[in-house]
Amino acid sequence: MRTLWEVAKLAIQRQLTYRAAALAGLVTNFFFGLLRAAILVALFGANREVAGLTIQGAITYTGLTQAVIGYMSFFGWYEVMDSVYSGEIASALLKPMSYFSFWLAQDLGRALVNFVLRGLSIMGLYALVFDITIPSQNSQWLAVLAAIILGWLVSFSWRFLVNLAAFWTPNARGVGRFAFGLSWVLSGFIMPLRLFPEWFVRLCNLTPFPSMINTVVEIYLGVLDSHAVMKALLIQSFWVILLVAAAHVVLQAGTRRLVIQGG
Amino acid sequence: MRSAFLTYFRLIAADVRAQLGYPVSFLFETTGAGLILSMFFISLALVFQRFESIAGWTLGEVAFLYGLIEMAFGAMDMIFSGFDPQFFGGNVRRGGFDKLLLRPQGLTLQVLGSSFVIRRLGRIFQGIVIFVIALSMVELSWTPVKILYLPIVFISLICFFGGLFIMGSTITFWTVESIEAINILTYGGSEMMSYPMHIYQDWMRRFFTFIVPAIFLNYYPALYFLDKPALQDLPSIAPFLSPIAGFGILFLALRFWRFGIRHYQSTGT
Repeated sequence: MRTLWEVAKLAIQRQLTYRAAALAGLVTNFFFGLLRAAILVALFGANREVAGLTIQGAITYTGLTQAVIGYMSFFGWYEVMDSVYSGEIASALLKPMSYFSFWLAQDLGRALVNFVLRGLSIMGLYALVFDITIPSQNSQWLAVLAAIILGWLVSFSWRFLVNLAAFWTPNARGVGRFAFGLSWVLSGFIMPLRLFPEWFVRLCNLTPFPSMINTVVEIYLGVLDSHAVMKALLIQSFWVILLVAAAHVVLQAGTRRLVIQGG
Repeated sequence: MRSAFLTYFRLIAADVRAQLGYPVSFLFETTGAGLILSMFFISLALVFQRFESIAGWTLGEVAFLYGLIEMAFGAMDMIFSGFDPQFFGGNVRRGGFDKLLLRPQGLTLQVLGSSFVIRRLGRIFQGIVIFVIALSMVELSWTPVKILYLPIVFISLICFFGGLFIMGSTITFWTVESIEAINILTYGGSEMMSYPMHIYQDWMRRFFTFIVPAIFLNYYPALYFLDKPALQDLPSIAPFLSPIAGFGILFLALRFWRFGIRHYQSTGT
């Protein structure tokens, strides 16, 4: 546990050296947020509320989805893949800790920095420009926090799992691009899931993706009653357990195949 | 001049051959890219069922604009791959650009020839599908002028986006890293231009009219093609200014590029 915390701390330090990149990312995310808010406002037109989502909620939604991009590495994350191809994985496998936990700790550090620099800050900017929804009860904030942590765990184990494709194919980037792209639609990142037709939402709910983003969004916006919140958090936990287990099984199968060349 | 173009085509042919070296992986990546990108439009179309219009535009009318921009941006992204700020910045950092400087050929064509990402066909194809869907959904009254003008708008759009890529690449002479701010203009610009511009706030629309003349390339021509009324009074020439905006931006970008080359200092890699 201690070593893992040290790994996470190093990752935090490394991330903090890229402050300029974080600022640029923030500006870009914010700009895209403004675009997407304009599109949703234009769609809503004279409607105050559609499918349980108010116009204020829809605007807040665009801020929330832009805020998760950084800490979830939502557009793509290929670090494990790269370390398999470069051979660096050999030294990581020799370390006296599980390979999964090693990366989990690194991602925790990276996520914490991005959560503050690109997540909280973008919501701050949103609060300045728009009249956004802000949860009023402590219990709701607690649920939001739990959903964010669980959502990050689902996201990390999914990304880790996708990266393991590198054990089987010499060009796993294509697989990765497709797998990450899939999560954009099915998680409710492109459009709020509630606005989709019901059959599509049912399809999404068969996948882990809504647990990454949609759950966080809906709990934050307060569109779920307390019973539904508990259920959503349980579903998130279910996906965390399933994906972490899958990652371990696939990792074992992969390392058995792994041949490190000397030199 | 002739030999320069010959070199350019040879460079591209070599790059394309390399990409086709793994045909299965190429096919997978191209269709994958197209499918993922099409999800954005499919999402809009699915959500649209709950609404009547997007600020007075039907889904078909938005699709016209959306498909046009996707086709043009995809084509530009393929033709100007060598000037993709991300790719070009990496080239400057690793010293690959210095190698081009040593060769007895025109620099601009060499950079253009340094990469030709045919995977972008996925995006172009996706744009074509959306555009065809748009044409089937909208009753467009075609006139000879419209038929002649459509390809001009398309080429102007390619020039415009290409100009932004060249500017973004030139900036990396000083910053070395590709700066993400240029993504706001390229990727952000193309996304913004996919929707009717009257949905944006005034400051944003003004910026993309007077500073970056994007509105002359998508919105004003689209109003003309779709016979939509403009929200404010427009000079009747406004829809026809796309070549001036497109070629103008490309021209300015090339001037800036020459200026950048004159002041280029290698990273020493």
